[in-house]
Amino acid sequence: MSRKILPPVILLILTYGLWISPDFNTICAGVAIFLFGMLSLEEGFNAFTGGTLERLLKRVTSNRWNSLGFGLISTALMQTSSLVSVIAISFLSAGLITLAAGIGIIFGANLGTTTGAWLIAGFGLKVDIARYAMPMLVFGIVLIFQPGKKFKGAGYILFGLGLLFLGIHYMKEGFDVFKDSIELARFSVSGYRGVLLFLFLGIIATVIMQSSHATLVLILTALAAQQISYENALALAIGANVGTTITAILSSLSANEAGKRLAGAHLIFNMVTASLSVALIYRLVELVDYAALQLGIAANDYTLKLAIFHSIFNLLGIVIMLPFINYLVTGLERLIPEKTLKVDQPKYLSTESAEFPETAIEAVKNETRRVFDAAIDIILIGIGSVKTGDGTGFHLDDSFTGQPLGEGFSIDEMYAKRIKTIYSAIVAFISDTEFSRRDEQSANLQWLREANMQIVEAIKDTKHLQKNLQRYLVSSNTFIRKAYNQLREQIASTIQDIHEAQREKDGVMDMLSLDALKHFIDESRDTMTKETTQLIALRKISPQMGSSLLNDIAYTHDISLNLALSAQTLIGVAERELLQAARTVSLDNNERASAPAQTLSTRIGERYTNSGAKTGEHP
Amino acid sequence: MNIRQQIRKLQVLLDGSRRERKTHQDEMKTLLHKMKLKERRLLEEARTELDEDKLARLRTEIDMLHAQRLKGIKALKELNE
Repeated sequence: MSRKILPPVILLILTYGLWISPDFNTICAGVAIFLFGMLSLEEGFNAFTGGTLERLLKRVTSNRWNSLGFGLISTALMQTSSLVSVIAISFLSAGLITLAAGIGIIFGANLGTTTGAWLIAGFGLKVDIARYAMPMLVFGIVLIFQPGKKFKGAGYILFGLGLLFLGIHYMKEGFDVFKDSIELARFSVSGYRGVLLFLFLGIIATVIMQSSHATLVLILTALAAQQISYENALALAIGANVGTTITAILSSLSANEAGKRLAGAHLIFNMVTASLSVALIYRLVELVDYAALQLGIAANDYTLKLAIFHSIFNLLGIVIMLPFINYLVTGLERLIPEKTLKVDQPKYLSTESAEFPETAIEAVKNETRRVFDAAIDIILIGIGSVKTGDGTGFHLDDSFTGQPLGEGFSIDEMYAKRIKTIYSAIVAFISDTEFSRRDEQSANLQWLREANMQIVEAIKDTKHLQKNLQRYLVSSNTFIRKAYNQLREQIASTIQDIHEAQREKDGVMDMLSLDALKHFIDESRDTMTKETTQLIALRKISPQMGSSLLNDIAYTHDISLNLALSAQTLIGVAERELLQAARTVSLDNNERASAPAQTLSTRIGERYTNSGAKTGEHP
Repeated sequence: MNIRQQIRKLQVLLDGSRRERKTHQDEMKTLLHKMKLKERRLLEEARTELDEDKLARLRTEIDMLHAQRLKGIKALKELNE
């Protein structure tokens, strides 16, 4: 309701203000130009988020101090806490960082944003920055029209900075002239009544502009023109800090539970900081006076004193909240629990994780991992395996007759419950992702899409295999029973080998080691096919049994091979280092088939199996 | 380092496709080194392995790794041309 009413009301008030006062026009134009500059700046930094920023974020968020430092430095450099918050939510949604790390980044970003107040108070309001704005705008536009993503990005940053400077200039000019016609300072309210009133005004202004930076510039320029009192300016700054959480909250609406928790942490942090600052405002003012004296700042330089206040109260919040991060994480996890649904839903795919190439790949990889794990569970149930006591291993159930183990254990039902929705979401997500056509990212996403298709194929083949397992595992013919048990063993052994490769943690070498597994799978198919034709020739099994068995050997081969292929992709994409080289040396079907003949098998065979001599050197 | 080498380095730095090829070359060299070490390790294991089944498996692993290495060496030569 309020969303429908608020914009026209704001527009009406603005129209009235612009109608009656030309000076108000200048101030509003300044705010509008400033906000547009922020948008342009974000657009520019987005052009550089294709890898560097993400890689840095992944590396530096190992502990809370590093996360805090990352939030502080990145916000100070980019002068936008909103972009840093959105990146943190995206990374958390994609499962790249922990909630504690995300909270650390948000805390750091809050402190980093205070550098903006220092820059504006110390530089923006003291020199004629419009002079710097003009060349920035010109060079910015020239760069924007250049081909190449990085040039465009740099152009947007330069153009954005130019607009920020121009916006500040107009706001400053507007307030300077405005004071000649209307003395806004007359409306200042002293005492706690004023603090609360201006705190509220600060929140409203920031919610409307969705930028605490813009509110702060407005406060600083008004303060410089003596249009608001110092005390009221402090309250407005606190209000701006609370109001800024609206960006994170809005961006978390479409995020998963993890993203919502982070937005919640942002809100709690800013609320606690604001409450403390309001309660201790007069003590903090004394502290600011003392700090200003130590830093050699004049007692009447209220804009710089406001910058000190802004830094101190954010620092106070961090000092108080940092030791409680773990409690905050636990509380938020309880407050916003993971949804338990009858049908498994995607956990990592969201509009937030689609924001950046790295988060998109990570989200798809994590979902593919879930699909893979679910497929392994389904296939193991399908071939009648039982989990060991500790749940980490499994063994084949000797009494398995191929029948579903109970209601809800049919492969179709399990597929519909655990895989179908996630698989469909992955396919849609990859198709919708804007950057899916860029080289490296595109290749990784395509491999993951293929891996998903291979996993689903493996489940379908298991379903086909299950029909004859039901038929022949209870047959009176011991040969056919034994053959079908061999098929089960083949699949179980493949899964075991895949688990071992995943446990090794030797990067792309694990991925390459699965080529040997694929060779074993091919060999096993050839051996079993030979044995089956012999069984038919010796009339140990009927030709009907034989034809079914040959088909099922092919299904078993495909199940094992598809699982090995998808596991290779999952290991490879997780270990991005050396991936391109590893994919180059990985062997295809023909190369695998001819590899032993052309390389070592004969020589090693003589050396190790016949003579047992263990002295020969490998060429 | 003479001027010609400096110019070559600068060319690699400025040319996008050359830079990419250089990265690929470096990655391939690192991977080949890792593979060589692993092949040696597997050969050592094979020397002390007495179980016939495990030995056969190790042999296949060594064969595959060797074939991968040969493929990598060939790819590296092509990249160097």
